[in-house]
Amino acid sequence: MSRSFANKRLAKELQKINNSLPPGIELVSAENFDEWTLDIRVLDDNPLYRGQIHRLKFKFGTTYPIEPPEVTFVNLPDRPIPIHPHIYSNGIICLDLLGQQGWSPVQNVESVCMSLQSMLTGNTKNERPPGDEEFVRGNRLRPKDIDFLYHDNTV
Amino acid sequence: MSESAKWILLKQDGNKKYQAGDYEGAEALYTKAIIVNPESPILYTNRTMARLKMNMWESAIADCNECLRIYPDNMKAHYYLGQAHLELGNYEEALECAQKAYKMCVDANDKSLSAALALVRMCKSKRWDELDKRRRRERADLEGEVLALLERERDAAVNPKDTDPDTVQEKGDDTAIRAEWETKLEAMRDVFEKARSADSQRRKVPDWAIDDISFEFMHDPVVTKSGKSYERAVLLNHLQQSQLDPLTREPLRPADLRPNLALKQALDEFLVENGWAVDY
Repeated sequence: MSRSFANKRLAKELQKINNSLPPGIELVSAENFDEWTLDIRVLDDNPLYRGQIHRLKFKFGTTYPIEPPEVTFVNLPDRPIPIHPHIYSNGIICLDLLGQQGWSPVQNVESVCMSLQSMLTGNTKNERPPGDEEFVRGNRLRPKDIDFLYHDNTV
Repeated sequence: MSESAKWILLKQDGNKKYQAGDYEGAEALYTKAIIVNPESPILYTNRTMARLKMNMWESAIADCNECLRIYPDNMKAHYYLGQAHLELGNYEEALECAQKAYKMCVDANDKSLSAALALVRMCKSKRWDELDKRRRRERADLEGEVLALLERERDAAVNPKDTDPDTVQEKGDDTAIRAEWETKLEAMRDVFEKARSADSQRRKVPDWAIDDISFEFMHDPVVTKSGKSYERAVLLNHLQQSQLDPLTREPLRPADLRPNLALKQALDEFLVENGWAVDY
């Protein structure tokens, strides 16, 4: 499949997103079909994320949506990386949905945002993944090339 | 050198020219090869490719037809024939060829399935545009005629031809008659305007018609074991990557797919009234 396949699909997603997005999810920029940014916030009163807004960056390859987009949190002065046992402090997310194995082409930008939103909503642990510091210091791999172990499905 | 070696060499040289972008040179070499061996289908499809590149639609069509005479089941010949007819604006013929090529790709599990699907879509879309343009033109003409007719009636009412001295004097009634006709004309314009905007408002594609992977209007839906339907070419593409049902994540092989004939019929029926949806 070609770039145009990905672009066509993204153009349609953008059209839908511009019409409506679920509460707590906002499009920040979608200047092209390579990279979009969105803001998400947790809707309930979870004390870990109260008053916070988080910036997500989506990067799309030419094989999207057959292959997953690369999704990371971006650290900005007013956009902290949310604290979560599956989110490294450099913004890399460990979520099976975003891996080659867990991804499905019926997923889309909106559904990924909603999954991340609910992943935060359901979290009660004020901690980073084990080995966060070491990982953040040492990792040179792109998120899609990291072999995460999805061992803990309770968070 | 034997005859067979000769045309094969000519063909190879032609392919080299073609790959280098020298379509004229390639076309000449394929022609020489055809003189040596006029019965090889691939020489005709190769020469067609060169001719399509040079916008020689008519002679490309001749080559395709010659190829199909020798070998009626040549997918590429149907595909190129469709392309050439499309360029010439022969949308019915183009669509017929594209659909033949598409069906052959499905049956033979040919990797050109996506390309054939794109051609089918293009043909349907162009054919609809043409129909739609004609319909709009006809309606605009009708609107003009009806309004002109009303205006003539109004003029006749304001200035009766057999100028009776009595009516000429009654200038006072003129404005009332004019106003009455102006109302009628306005109402008529309004009717046409409403019809026009209803036309553009109707342009909404129902979700059941959309493939959930490509987000495009489906053409050849296949249903998985989970009961969900997808565009055949798109789902096969996904299955090359991962042999899992996109929704349930259960194992799914190409052989498990079944055509969804009822949905196909509904899609075709929707397109009759809403041909624009084909490349929504």
